[in-house]
Amino acid sequence: MKKATAVVSDPVGFHLRAAGRIVKVAKQYSAEVMVVFNGRVANAKSIMGLASLAAGYGCSVDLEADGSDESEALESLVKLIEVDLAEPEGESKDDCN
Amino acid sequence: MTVIKGIAASPGYAVGKLFCIKKKRPEPVANSILNENIGSEQKRFKDAVAVAGEQIRDLAAKLKAELGKDEAAIIESQLLVLEDELILDATLCRIEEELQNAEYLFTKSIAEVISRFHDLQDSYYKERILDLRDVEERVLRILMGWDNNEVVGPSEDCIVCANDLTPSDTAAIGTTNVLGFLLEEGSRTSHVAILSRSMGVPAVVGIGKALIGLSDGDSVAVDGHLGELIVDPDKETIRKFKLLYHKESELNEKLAHLKDIPAETPDGHRVKMFNNIELPIEVDKALMCGSEGIGLLRTEYIYFQHGSIPSEDEQMEVYSEIVKKMDGKPVVFRTLDVGGDKVQRYLGARKEFNPFLGWRGIRFLLANPALLKSQLRAMFRAAAGGPAKIMFPMITGVDELRKARQICRECCNELAAESIEHDPDVEIGIMVETPSAVAIADLLAAECDFFSIGTNDLIQYSLSMDRLNRRVSYLYQPLHPAVLRFMKSTIDSAHNAGIKVSICGEMASETRFAEVLLGLGFDEISTHAVQLPKVKQVIRWTTVSEAKKLLSDLMSFSTAAEAEAHLDEYLIAKKTARKHN
Repeated sequence: MKKATAVVSDPVGFHLRAAGRIVKVAKQYSAEVMVVFNGRVANAKSIMGLASLAAGYGCSVDLEADGSDESEALESLVKLIEVDLAEPEGESKDDCN
Repeated sequence: MTVIKGIAASPGYAVGKLFCIKKKRPEPVANSILNENIGSEQKRFKDAVAVAGEQIRDLAAKLKAELGKDEAAIIESQLLVLEDELILDATLCRIEEELQNAEYLFTKSIAEVISRFHDLQDSYYKERILDLRDVEERVLRILMGWDNNEVVGPSEDCIVCANDLTPSDTAAIGTTNVLGFLLEEGSRTSHVAILSRSMGVPAVVGIGKALIGLSDGDSVAVDGHLGELIVDPDKETIRKFKLLYHKESELNEKLAHLKDIPAETPDGHRVKMFNNIELPIEVDKALMCGSEGIGLLRTEYIYFQHGSIPSEDEQMEVYSEIVKKMDGKPVVFRTLDVGGDKVQRYLGARKEFNPFLGWRGIRFLLANPALLKSQLRAMFRAAAGGPAKIMFPMITGVDELRKARQICRECCNELAAESIEHDPDVEIGIMVETPSAVAIADLLAAECDFFSIGTNDLIQYSLSMDRLNRRVSYLYQPLHPAVLRFMKSTIDSAHNAGIKVSICGEMASETRFAEVLLGLGFDEISTHAVQLPKVKQVIRWTTVSEAKKLLSDLMSFSTAAEAEAHLDEYLIAKKTARKHN
């Protein structure tokens, strides 16, 4: 299992659209990824789970990945949360659809 | 017999049975299933989820075509809600473990997710509960075999009561069998109030929780003038209300002879009398009342009535129908005025802290050029069938007007290139409803063809009062010196530039203000159909010099209350004098 930390760059936090983008990316990996914030845990593949974390802009969230592609999953998700979320979907070249 | 007070939103009287619109939510009950049926129950659930997914995808595709990717993403995120493991997988597991029906267990899964959101403080996340409810309802409707139409109207004459009604609700209810409206929420300027006045039925709104105890079939009497309803009226009251109703119908019949007589003052000044409408079905009523044109066609209804985004052709058909029905009389189209109290979530206009100061009117339109273009093209095309004008809402600066005009030119060029029939010479005007537009009325007048003063918003923005907030609704003061000065200077600027000014707000429909409007110098007065003959009657009784004198007297007061008191006195004195003549 691997761990990482990411600071939320989306100006409105983990709202539905941001959560949706995280789910899309997380689902590309077979690894289980859990997101921990403020004592709450959510599966990175669950939009409602993520949204209910209510992690706002500038909050630091912990990621825990477990599986064969855990390193790649963590790397993509950290980049997404820290960088790409600050931009609207589709304007980032790494956006996966 | 109890009397309940609300806000008088539309005049008239009605007695009858109550028809309560409760937005029916599907409420599944628990049913046990057999072990051998687990697989088929799971399949039934998965199929329903697939159908719901298709519906959401269709909606998103339509939004994407009209509004672009950003807006579609809001609906698309509901797909992820639908397929969320906390919901989809959890329900499938539950069916296997708890051996109950899919509807019930699905609701249980949703409830559990909702509880995760309940303890959050941030209002944004609390509102996500609405997304969940949306998805829940969609899937349940499919599972339970309900159709998509949420609201149905009464099948016999009734007084309709509800918490609040959206434009798509009232479109579904229709106008037949409705004797009047009672609402817990709302104000004089909310949607149902406006609709009731154009239908000519009484409405009392902002009643609050007093409506809760009432149910279908209860007997009520509605007084739309006083803003009261009487629950369980006695025989005497019913008789009185029936009499009042007949008296009012008689008065309306008396005024009917004015239909083809112009609104001309005794000293020969001519004012044009127009109507505000939102749907083609209202045209007949407008013409019957003597309308010389449509001064304001609100396009929001037409746009939202089916719950999905209409295509250019669909819009064009409705606009053309209105233009043709008006048979040579002008129709003023107002482009979509969404935002504020009309926010439609699926258009991407998200909840804002200050919606009336937010992303609405021309701001929203310019940010959604595809939507604006489809509307404008439909309008230019409809204009080929008769005289039409186009106006833009909530203009605050000349740059917005220039951008809007540029898009108009683009639309006409495209239509010409595509050899589609249209009228490129349509007059382009603006709504004057913000203090900044008033301040630069001379600059705006130099670049557009007409003004229309929307008093509801002008009063709201001038006096910084949220018209939906009942605590400050007393500040809705049409005779406030600021409002009178704003209207006067706007009209003067327009006339200096040689363009015409109309009024299309609520103030235009109130007979007590008719002389004030005449004194201010409005060229056109656009009212609700039923009020048109009454306002016209006042104009036919009043000379321009009388009206100007009244206006200058009213403008000499420092407060709205003093001006109101003076107007009351003046009107009473005039009524008495008329009786003696």
